[in-house]
Amino acid sequence: MSVADRRLRLGGLVAVAAVVVIGLGAVASTQFDIALERLITVGFVNRSLEMATPIALAAIGGLYAEKSGVFNIGLEGFMIVGAIAAAGLLYGLGGTSPTQAHVWLAIAGSMAITACLTVAFAALLIRYKADQIVAGLAVWFIGLGFAPFVAAMIWDSRSSPGLASVDDVAVPGLRELPVVGSIVFDQSPLVLLTVVVVAVAWVVLYRTRYGYWIQAAGENPEALDTAGIDVDRVRYATVIFSGAMAGLGGAVLLAHAGNFVGTGDTMTDGRGWIAIVAYLFGNYNPVGAAAAALLFGALDMLNVQFQTVGIEVSSRLVNLLPYVAVLVVLSAWGKTRMPSSVGEPYESED
Amino acid sequence: MSDARSGLRPAIDRLADRALEATMVERIAIALVSTLLALCIGLVIVAAAGYDPVRFANQLLVGSFGGERAISRTLRYSTLFVLTGVAVAVAFRAGVFNIGVQGQFVVGGFATVVSIVGLAPYLPAGTAAGWLLIVVGTLAGVVAGGLYAALPGALKAYRGANEIITTIMLNFIATGFVGWLVAGRFSDPEVTAMRTRRLPDNVELPSVIFSDPNLSIVGLVATLAVVAAVALLMSRTSFGYDMVTSGHQGAAATYSGVDAKRMIVSTMTVSGMVAGLAGAVFAIMIQGYYTDPTGVGNYGFDAIAVSLLAANNPLGVVPAGLLFGGLESGGSNIQINSDVPVQLIDGVVGLVVLFVAAPELFRMAAARTGLGGDRR
Repeated sequence: MSVADRRLRLGGLVAVAAVVVIGLGAVASTQFDIALERLITVGFVNRSLEMATPIALAAIGGLYAEKSGVFNIGLEGFMIVGAIAAAGLLYGLGGTSPTQAHVWLAIAGSMAITACLTVAFAALLIRYKADQIVAGLAVWFIGLGFAPFVAAMIWDSRSSPGLASVDDVAVPGLRELPVVGSIVFDQSPLVLLTVVVVAVAWVVLYRTRYGYWIQAAGENPEALDTAGIDVDRVRYATVIFSGAMAGLGGAVLLAHAGNFVGTGDTMTDGRGWIAIVAYLFGNYNPVGAAAAALLFGALDMLNVQFQTVGIEVSSRLVNLLPYVAVLVVLSAWGKTRMPSSVGEPYESED
Repeated sequence: MSDARSGLRPAIDRLADRALEATMVERIAIALVSTLLALCIGLVIVAAAGYDPVRFANQLLVGSFGGERAISRTLRYSTLFVLTGVAVAVAFRAGVFNIGVQGQFVVGGFATVVSIVGLAPYLPAGTAAGWLLIVVGTLAGVVAGGLYAALPGALKAYRGANEIITTIMLNFIATGFVGWLVAGRFSDPEVTAMRTRRLPDNVELPSVIFSDPNLSIVGLVATLAVVAAVALLMSRTSFGYDMVTSGHQGAAATYSGVDAKRMIVSTMTVSGMVAGLAGAVFAIMIQGYYTDPTGVGNYGFDAIAVSLLAANNPLGVVPAGLLFGGLESGGSNIQINSDVPVQLIDGVVGLVVLFVAAPELFRMAAARTGLGGDRR
């Protein structure tokens, strides 16, 4: 796919996202006689960004792994692990009143723990040629079981008490600016960090030699091998990266929420699966994946908007919007071109 | 020349037979080792968390097979695991990853309850009417489950949408949507708890042999009949043959005139119908009404582990389903009589799936220790 094609597609994606959100808002405003600007507020943008962040982080990890030829379907599971690890560390460090330093330590620690677990997962996939789909599902099941188990061990309940959430970074003076002020200069540092991660992920993938190795490992592993690069090594790196990013996503989810929820499908609640769709929708481009994540994040947060402006729709139904959106996206955009060697273990000649 | 050929052919057949037999034995061995390894890890975790692993193992065993109550509880769970496991096996065997059995199970069970509760006022109260309601309700569950699975099948076949993701999304949607209906339009106005009206008294499967009110011999026999029917469908009919070949040798199946896209939709429909039947059995035999689907258990998910343990063979699902029924039953005993959080069992199930996914791990381990190392 040429660069022009990619740009076009990305533009199309952003346009679709904007149309969907504004369209829903417009329907709501005509149907219920509520001004659009009351529905789409600065607070809504902020909440959407916060909700999109974990999805975007996991999506970037997932797309790196898949670009290199390994389908990491375990993103959801690793997100759950990241969330419970961060919650456990946070509680261990500071009890029920941790400081901001504890929050950051817990996020870093949780990323390290998920990365370590992903090493074992990567070995199963690459060295032991495990079925990528089944092993990825297994990670989800393991997360769904062990996360509430750990929570029950620590707090005697599937969920944690209130711990702490990350403070916004406010720039005095600039935060007073209309709109931009509260979106850019009074924002969760994790949202800002994600913006940087997205940009760096794009540059590394498309503008560095290592990025080309990753793409070659997924498209034409034989050529990469011939060039003297160890295909499996590249794949180990991307899979471990994807696990660490999903773990970070889970930790960020926790750091925004402030407590761990282990009931039902845990607090991750399908966001790892949505992350996979986000990068498919974004055609494996980190910027596109982040834009798609923002769309899903916004849909997730429409619920709050509907409630504040007094639209009587069951929150149970509005909560299903992101999942319905995924179905629509996959049906309209289903035929994404996967890297040609995804899912195949690479057998070196020597 | 002709002699050589006639001698060669049976030799190849014999070789193929033996290879097939070896993989069969190997698969059973992998299933057993995976389960044992996962259980051992579970016990190590129990010990590491400061509990007594011997006591835990004992409670698990007593809770699953110790005494009549435990056994009938195990059989009750096993019925659901076997049915949902067969639903998964049908799809996986045909190369379609239906992860949505949980959603189809929920939609099917809910359709059963709604149709019976809706129809009951128009029928007399006798046993005959009860049986009619059971049949109609079960059919409603089967149809609803089949349709709910046909949707992701069609999306995969005609729009290229990855069925793993669409079925997972449809699980979330089924849980949320049925939950909304149970809380709203179909809630029982006479109780505060979130549930539908109860099924009428005449809708009850007879308790023969087992005194457990939530386990009927009719349910068990029906389950085994479904297993046999699906096994026959897969191995003895041209439909089943086309289904399996189109999953594993798509090009060959297309060449022989099979419409691969339609096959995907049919496979998903059959799989969903069995899942819907499991939902109907759950609604009629066990629960007697419908609640918030977040609380109906994870049969559809654990079914994936059941099917994989059975190497996606419908007959193999029976012992695998019994094992999982035992685990679930033992788990409910542990929940009552032990401090160990019962979620551990779910984690152990995840480990089983992980190990089953990596047979190479065991082959390499076996080769290294010299056990069966000559096999590869």
